[in-house]
Amino acid sequence: MNSNKAIQVQDLHKDFGEVYAVQGVSFDVQAGEIFSLLGPNGAGKTTIISMLACLLEPTQGDALVMSHSIKSEQMAVKAAIGVVPQEIALYEDLSARENLNFWGKMYGLRGGPLKQRVDEVLEVIGLADRQKGRVSKYSGGMKRRLNIGIALLHRPQVIIMDEPTVGIDPQSRRSILDSVKELNRQGMTVFYTTHYMEEAQELSDHIAIMDLGKLIAYGTHDELVQIVGEMDRITLTINAESAQVMEQWRATEGVHKVSAEDGTLELLVDDSNVVLPRLFESATQAGVRITSVEIQEPNLEAVFLHLTGRALRD
Amino acid sequence: MKTLNIALKDLLRSFRNAFFLGFGLGMPVLMGVIFYFAFGGLASEGGFDIPQVDVLVVNLDEPVAEYGGFSAGEMLAGFLQSEELAQLLAATEEESAASARAAVDNQEADIAVIIPADLSGAVFDPEGQAEVEVYHDPTLTLGPSIVKSIITQFVDALAGSKIAAGVAYDQLAERGATVDGTILQNVAMRYGEWSASLSESQGAGALLAVQSPVGGEEKEANRALAMVGGIMTGMMVFYAFYTGAASAMSILQEEEDGTLPRLFTTPTPTSAILGGKLIAVFALVVVQVLVLMTFSSLVFKTDWGAPIPLSLALVGLVVLAASFGIFGMSLLKDTRQAGIVIGGVMTVLGMVGISSMFTANVPGAAGGFAETLPLFVPQGWAMHAWRLVMDGGNVGDVLPPFAVIIALTIGFFSIGVLRFRKRFA
Repeated sequence: MNSNKAIQVQDLHKDFGEVYAVQGVSFDVQAGEIFSLLGPNGAGKTTIISMLACLLEPTQGDALVMSHSIKSEQMAVKAAIGVVPQEIALYEDLSARENLNFWGKMYGLRGGPLKQRVDEVLEVIGLADRQKGRVSKYSGGMKRRLNIGIALLHRPQVIIMDEPTVGIDPQSRRSILDSVKELNRQGMTVFYTTHYMEEAQELSDHIAIMDLGKLIAYGTHDELVQIVGEMDRITLTINAESAQVMEQWRATEGVHKVSAEDGTLELLVDDSNVVLPRLFESATQAGVRITSVEIQEPNLEAVFLHLTGRALRD
Repeated sequence: MKTLNIALKDLLRSFRNAFFLGFGLGMPVLMGVIFYFAFGGLASEGGFDIPQVDVLVVNLDEPVAEYGGFSAGEMLAGFLQSEELAQLLAATEEESAASARAAVDNQEADIAVIIPADLSGAVFDPEGQAEVEVYHDPTLTLGPSIVKSIITQFVDALAGSKIAAGVAYDQLAERGATVDGTILQNVAMRYGEWSASLSESQGAGALLAVQSPVGGEEKEANRALAMVGGIMTGMMVFYAFYTGAASAMSILQEEEDGTLPRLFTTPTPTSAILGGKLIAVFALVVVQVLVLMTFSSLVFKTDWGAPIPLSLALVGLVVLAASFGIFGMSLLKDTRQAGIVIGGVMTVLGMVGISSMFTANVPGAAGGFAETLPLFVPQGWAMHAWRLVMDGGNVGDVLPPFAVIIALTIGFFSIGVLRFRKRFA
């Protein structure tokens, strides 16, 4: 075990009957870093988190969390991690303080230290002045913050966050992302899953990209973007069915990948200045009108498109 | 310690839960109160308060001049308005039978007692017959029964006087003595005095009242109180099983809410988590049963029987209701299924189980199939044990059903816990 590694995932598999949710995934998370697991819905992110949190037994392989096996040292693993589930998991008929008190006890805190820690966490999550109100009366953002606060109570070495920004307003989302950075600054290792490319890009030291249960890329943001090299990503909208031009564009010189969703097409091309006129010409020949064009520098979306042939949001 | 924390958390949540408060405590109490009022506020202040009956007395009786102006009607009217009956009857005199009947019809009075004109004459005429009419609101039962009882006893006393006077007349006539009205009146009066002294020696003080009507109603009240106690027991058994199932459903609810999986991510053993939840189920049933017993004791003065048999029945009910709930919920996939089971299956099983509550006092319904049917469901065994205790059964009587209850409990609890452990392994 390398002491610099907070998590080592080794050939992890998880099958649900005929469904192969995770297929031979391996990666390391360095201690003290923010690690993002990026992938579309159904990629296997939550299954990996469930195994790291000892909620699911791997079909094959193992993972070490702070040097403890998720298969044979589950209590030690659970003591080392704080888990923020994707869905809000709170007792709505209890107050914020009552929730924190209860969960603190579940993490082994008692008496004075528990009270002190609850007070600290209430301050951190900004609910000190609403601590006695029933959670059922809280806004979605407040619940999200309390959901995170519970995982911080025992000062875990690793905090695992499963898409904590799903379904919340931009302000709360910003607040959560800032909290993640702050926790990391305090020395906590953050294991973060998301299907928002921008979040992974903003937060992460290392990123692993998953699709259909497999790890398809791993590295820093810059390393991943290098996969697509100097290619540009073009987003186009057209006034007709995408099928009318997709095949022609795929065959166009300089075009590497084409994907379509809801009338929007994403293309990876060598040089947008050269390729764009060819795309317009093909569209005109097919009787299709291009209604908007956007050219972007290479990013994680482009990487995913390059590796899978599909947009990340598919 | 964590087990206890989980149990306490569940209890706190239950006491903040409108369903538990309403259905677990409120409904049984409400049902009891409904029965309480249905039986006319039987046990207030530890006694039996029969509502005062408004009686209109129409005395049409004509005194018999030849017997010193004797008036049986006046005696009866006076008796109905006497102090002895003041707590039972609010009797006032009315001029005519028609107006008295009209007052009853208009619900201005409960009962009209119409004393016929020939009542006194009938006392001294060997062939004479007279009828006192009791006209009452047909929806009333208790008040008219009391009044009829009083009048019957009065008339019986008059009949005794009449017989005594008749016998005296015959014997004096046989011996050739001259018999006048004064002699017969004296005979009748002496009979009345003897009858009254006999009543006093039997403990009833009122002239001609012979037996206090309150004594008979107290007996009725005791019977009614016992019936309410039985009904409260049925309610307790019925709702205890609901509570057992509903509180065990919190395991499924927490699974769906994500708090149970989250608990499994904490360094808390699965056994401690499940143990805490199960303790909460048992504790809730205990709280519910104790609250209902206390309520019934205070309000209905329910006699719960001897302490040791009662303890057996109490423990049996709690462990069986809780374990049956755990067992039932362990078979289900989610709270949607649980809602159907609690709403439907538990209701049917509960009604079957406590059906003896309804059949016990129905002539011809007790025994046979009506008695064995409830024993096909767990609620029936709990109810059986409680009925034995409340009927004055001793430890020996209660032990057999208690043994069955414990056997069922072990079976239900084992299967339930095994299934939940497997589910969350």
